[in-house]
Amino acid sequence: MKLRHITFSLFLLTLNVFSQGNLYSALTIPEHLKKNAYAVMRSSETNVSINSINGMVVKEKRVVTIFNKKGSKYVNAYVHYDKNVKIKALQAAVYNEFGQQIKKIKKGDFEDVSAVSGGTLYSDSRVKYLNYTPTTYPYTIEFVSEITTSNTAFIPQFFPIRGYFLSIENSTYKISYPQHISLRKKEINTEEFNVEKEISEGNIRYKLTNVEVFKKESYSPPLQTITPKVLFASKQFSLEGVETTVENWNDFGKWMYNDLVKAANDLPESTINAIKELVKNEKSTIDKAKKIYQYVQDKTRYVSVQIGIGGWKPYSASYVDKLGYGDCKALTNYTMSLLDAVGIESNYTVIFAGRNQRNMDKDFTSMQGNHACLTLPIDGENIWLECTSQKVPFGFIGSFTDDRDALIIKPDGAEIKRTKKYTKAENSQVLKGYCSISEEGYLKADLKMISMGIQYNDKYRIEDYEARDKDVTYKKRWNYINNLTIDKIDINNNKAAIQFEESLSLSAKKYSKNVGDRMLFEVNILNRNAHVPNRYKNRTLPFEIKRGFIDKDNVEIELPSGYVVESLPKNASLENKYGHYKTEIVLNQKNNSLSYSREFSVNDGLYPKEYYDSFRAFYKEVARLDKAKVILIKKQ
Amino acid sequence: MKVKGAIILFLISISLTAQNYKFGKVSKEELEEQSCSLDASANAAYLYKYRTSFFEYNQNEGFVLITKVHERIKIYNKDGLRYATKAITTYKGSSDEESIYGLKGNVYNLVNGKVEATKLEKGGIFKEKVNKYYNQTKFTLPNVKEGSVLEYKYQISSPFFTHINEYQFQYSIPIKKLEANFRAPEYFNFKVNTKGYLNVIPKKTTKNGSIAFVNKSRSTGSITTTTYNNSKVDFIENIHNYSLSNVPALKREPYVNSMRNYRAGARYELSFTKFPHSSLKYYTTTWDDVVKKIYKSSSFGEELKKTGYFETGIDKIISGENDPKKRMMLIFDYVKSKVQWNNYYGIYPSDVKKAYKNHTGNVADINLMLTSMLRYAGLDANPILVSTRSHGIPVFPTREGYNYVICGVEVLDNIVLLDATSRHATPNVLPFRALNWKGRIVRKSGSSAFVDLYPKEKSTNTVSLSIELDEQGRINGAMRSSKTSNGAMNYRYSYNSVSKEEYLEKVESKYKGIEVSNLEVLDNLNPYKPITENCEFVMDGQADVINDKIFLSPLFFLKEKENPFKLEKREFPIDFGYPYRDIYRYTIKIPEGYKVESIPESKILKLPDNLGDFSYRIGVKGQIIQLIADSKINTSIIPPMYYDAVKAYFSSIIETQNEQVVLTKQ
Repeated sequence: MKLRHITFSLFLLTLNVFSQGNLYSALTIPEHLKKNAYAVMRSSETNVSINSINGMVVKEKRVVTIFNKKGSKYVNAYVHYDKNVKIKALQAAVYNEFGQQIKKIKKGDFEDVSAVSGGTLYSDSRVKYLNYTPTTYPYTIEFVSEITTSNTAFIPQFFPIRGYFLSIENSTYKISYPQHISLRKKEINTEEFNVEKEISEGNIRYKLTNVEVFKKESYSPPLQTITPKVLFASKQFSLEGVETTVENWNDFGKWMYNDLVKAANDLPESTINAIKELVKNEKSTIDKAKKIYQYVQDKTRYVSVQIGIGGWKPYSASYVDKLGYGDCKALTNYTMSLLDAVGIESNYTVIFAGRNQRNMDKDFTSMQGNHACLTLPIDGENIWLECTSQKVPFGFIGSFTDDRDALIIKPDGAEIKRTKKYTKAENSQVLKGYCSISEEGYLKADLKMISMGIQYNDKYRIEDYEARDKDVTYKKRWNYINNLTIDKIDINNNKAAIQFEESLSLSAKKYSKNVGDRMLFEVNILNRNAHVPNRYKNRTLPFEIKRGFIDKDNVEIELPSGYVVESLPKNASLENKYGHYKTEIVLNQKNNSLSYSREFSVNDGLYPKEYYDSFRAFYKEVARLDKAKVILIKKQ
Repeated sequence: MKVKGAIILFLISISLTAQNYKFGKVSKEELEEQSCSLDASANAAYLYKYRTSFFEYNQNEGFVLITKVHERIKIYNKDGLRYATKAITTYKGSSDEESIYGLKGNVYNLVNGKVEATKLEKGGIFKEKVNKYYNQTKFTLPNVKEGSVLEYKYQISSPFFTHINEYQFQYSIPIKKLEANFRAPEYFNFKVNTKGYLNVIPKKTTKNGSIAFVNKSRSTGSITTTTYNNSKVDFIENIHNYSLSNVPALKREPYVNSMRNYRAGARYELSFTKFPHSSLKYYTTTWDDVVKKIYKSSSFGEELKKTGYFETGIDKIISGENDPKKRMMLIFDYVKSKVQWNNYYGIYPSDVKKAYKNHTGNVADINLMLTSMLRYAGLDANPILVSTRSHGIPVFPTREGYNYVICGVEVLDNIVLLDATSRHATPNVLPFRALNWKGRIVRKSGSSAFVDLYPKEKSTNTVSLSIELDEQGRINGAMRSSKTSNGAMNYRYSYNSVSKEEYLEKVESKYKGIEVSNLEVLDNLNPYKPITENCEFVMDGQADVINDKIFLSPLFFLKEKENPFKLEKREFPIDFGYPYRDIYRYTIKIPEGYKVESIPESKILKLPDNLGDFSYRIGVKGQIIQLIADSKINTSIIPPMYYDAVKAYFSSIIETQNEQVVLTKQ
């Protein structure tokens, strides 16, 4: 009897060690998931229960094994909270390589800080996070949290592959909801990754297993466009106490306009009169709008304060009018109200800002976006106005909000429209230069560069640099010229034409190399491409060039009088799907000078990974040709 | 003639008194100013900056430190608008905290030729708990535009009277007029240290002051009576006044260890207190006092004395090993592997025992534990107080001057420096953060001395390449490199947690266009050995093939690409952190059928005063070119007077490296 009892309990014990220890020990991870991994998601369980229109519980439990310093972030050991989000449970435990628990962390041991991110002055949101110093790698953390919230406008998404170098052993997501709530969802890349799905009345479950890491590769599209993701939205939802029913973007627009935006148009009479006075001599709508935009740029500045529904509702126009500052929503609404005061229609617009051109999801209506700007329809065309900048020209949005789907909010609904795309031809840089090289190799150059489109975007801030920093900026632009001196800087930021005009004089001693009777120098003096995309032995991801550009250079080079040309680089001409490159060098015997012309363009586009090597080869060839040398020889 | 002089003087004094720095008295002239008269490129400027800190006696709380601030700022352009937002950080102790009150702000604009003021309202003020120790009060002023003048004032009341926030006299924008003072009753003896490259000296005066007490006494008899009587204590107040005009902006420069070292300012530190009817209480005055004070504090000296918690562990490790040097290494490695640094600085341990048990602790936990263990093992080990690079240089004796501690082991006349917070550290190779001027060693006897922290030994990088060049200008070859000391440590910090594949990508992207194979890194985990790397490579376009000639610069892809020194002039020393030596040895085989027509001259370039040199030796033997390029920087820090020489030196190195070898077809 006794004996049997003991064996039985031992058996149970070993079983237990296996099923439990499995997950907490780094030794049990399959080899293929360890390859290149900073961290392995052993198990991630997200449980979302929508109990009512204003009651949601989110439980999370994650077990993550971390292999190095950079892997720590994948524990995501933090929770945000505010007056509508309450933390019900929060704890963590740390295990060593063998799965033995070495530390327990209680809720009170989490650091509690304000969740103000860079650029925000104040936010009432706070965050509790785990500050753990690992003593060895690998180690495993189990993190458990539970929150309740009255906001059902943001339902957590299923987005298991949160970053590069993270592999997934097991990740599940469950959501349950009552009958009276209708839930919409959108699945992205789930089939490609064999995401398991179970659906029953009021319950949906997803599961992803066994996914190796994604390696970071340059030019790859954002990870979230190529990995699985499921978005959720409830038709009936509540945001900071405001309840509504939304099925499509049109409903969403109506709700947003009526509940969040409309009331904020409350300019005082005095301002309305002043603004009418301001534009009274302007004939066209666009000229009036330009005046008003300038007025906003001169009067206001960007200050971000996020309190409660302030995260979504703009502060009123009268507030901005009085204080002269606001965040993107407040400044957009203010500009809209001023335009409205003189009878010009414009529309509040919600968008994802940032270089990577993230779209508002056309066919999935939910709370999205991280920025607000203004759409001004004139003669069937949309002009996009960025209202948070005191410097950008009227109608210029640059890489901040270009070429992506934005949500335009109108009184009677909403629509998704694409913002302005800056085409290759628009993103131009035109260079005209006059150079001379002396017998000692001393280079003098006078040049004028005109940049437009995204190339304007990349340069216009230089105007406001102080003298010392301008000098250094230009020395960096021509960092391949040793001994460079910038002798003259003359900048004209032509906002009306949206072009940045730089007139510069440069000089450098010993630009050319003198070898015996010969003199060598690179014929492309003023605009050399040194960039070669990184090489990948096995490229795994597609690649994307978000914005094309074109450079056109024309440079006259006066040669030293005691020398004649011995050899000139051949004219080059490359053309392929990625762009083109063309140079021409003409020797003018009469005045012993060279005319060098060069065109280099890159097209925007999305390409499969197989093309990457040829794309790299194109850049590499351009970099090589840009270093082509002229050889002069002393006159006999 | 004399009369004329008097008139001029009179005029000057008028224009001086015309400035009114009273709160609210902003002039039209200030608003009309278009650009800063001191520095036309300034985005904003302090027209007036005022701070006073003094002690106030309060019967309930005793002495309280009061700081009043008043600032007036002119906004010249849109980039200056950010000065309209300010954050004031206040400290929170376990039972007491600093508090802010009396915050008032105004913005002035010129509207139709008239000065118009807008007030800072409550909605523009935000209070925030940053974390356990700090609160922040942030405010942003309304109605600020280009040309606006803004003004604010506030007071901070602090119960932590031994701690006076540093006075700063220089900012990233110019200051037209600065006034500051510090007042302390004779009971407090403060030491002042001024710093920065603008020589600032306070004007010292005294004043009589007094404190009124209300004493309450109760007599209990048949009738209880309470009598109040007033008493007064007179004292002398010591006053330091600072008055500066036209202070230029402090501008950042590259290769500077910490801009804090150069910002003009004053620090006050309490030396002793002597209250009536009580004895002297010492805080600090001299280096020895500072050290004693730190040593005596229970959280330092006592923690250092504890041995019980590690004895069994250490006994096991050193048993059978009698050589002191080997014992030192065993213990050093033991601490490195046993206790991980939690990224917190400080000279006081939180709890060495706990740190030992939990395998994690702050800098002081780790290095005092190390010191204590070494002493236990019979070594002459002592803590060395350090100020990290970002913390600035402690020029004057202050406790707050130090924020880090390492361990020094005295062997004969040498001190071996140890820092167990980094697993890559070795004896005398400290993490970069600790390489800052001098530390202060604190001996058991209580005596102390300066210890130079900058490495004396050069970090070397020795690279050997054997290269074959073909007729198309393509090279292929093998490279072997070996890095030591701090150079190796930096490498380990940057690449040890990077996968091999990723590292290869990094190497390839550094030398654009190179293709590397068979990359092998040896001893990256063993800090006691140099890091060795071996690889093979091919690279196109490394020579110009023109007609029957080939032109090449023989350092190929390893030549210096650009001069790191771009500024035309420099104010501050150049700080390399540690001395170094880079040696490149090339063996280049030229293509068949070609012969060497000419090679550059061998040469040596030298920096003045033996600060560094570069030698370039090249020779030909049949089809083989041999080259040795050897560059040295012999000191960690180079004073700014040498800046032009250093800049020209780097330029000449680039020129030399670019000189061409010419090959001709036979």
